[in-house]
Amino acid sequence: MLKRIVYSFIFSTVAVLALESGDSIPKEIQEKLNLETDKVYVIDFFASWCKSCKKELPLVANIYNDNIVQVVGINVDKNKEDGEKFVKELSLPFPIFYDKEKHLIKTFDPLGFPAIYYVKNGKVLHVIFGAVKDIDKTITEDIKSIK
Amino acid sequence: MRKYLLMTMSFSLFMGCSLIEEVKPWEKETLAKPTMQFAGLHPEVNKFESHIYYSKEASKGGSGVAGGGCGCN
Repeated sequence: MLKRIVYSFIFSTVAVLALESGDSIPKEIQEKLNLETDKVYVIDFFASWCKSCKKELPLVANIYNDNIVQVVGINVDKNKEDGEKFVKELSLPFPIFYDKEKHLIKTFDPLGFPAIYYVKNGKVLHVIFGAVKDIDKTITEDIKSIK
Repeated sequence: MRKYLLMTMSFSLFMGCSLIEEVKPWEKETLAKPTMQFAGLHPEVNKFESHIYYSKEASKGGSGVAGGGCGCN
């Protein structure tokens, strides 16, 4: 009995692992985000209160408009209206999902914010956390190396 | 018996703090608000007021505000 209590205590303290390069995204999330096979997607987690997101998103929008890569934006604002207002303000052209319940971001569990995931055929190819200067150039170069 | 008890006690000691749920990077919405700044909503106003206070009191420091001068302008 005591042995069981000790083991259950140990396992209750083990943290859930975040998605990293090489990990598979759950099928339900792939379907929810409408991710097609054999296409590289950039999944960009952002929020209206995130200053770096405000700088990076217009650059990400540019590479989407230039058909360099498919982009899926995921807004994690507590208040959906704040997210919608932010998206409207920046005129983001790519599909946006509002993750008010934090279901999507809890699955990815990024270690930094903003968080960008390169995904192909349901697999995470590469991850970028935090603010990156000239994110458009970084993504363009990464996509070239992936393709 | 004693071995398991010792294990439980050592885990409680070393992992006690890990049970507190950490604030994830995407949960810092409240912390990102301007009111959460150390110097309040208008840090420049606070700095100016401190500057006058130091000049009048002929003393400086203690509040984390840098700078000096006579404060007479």
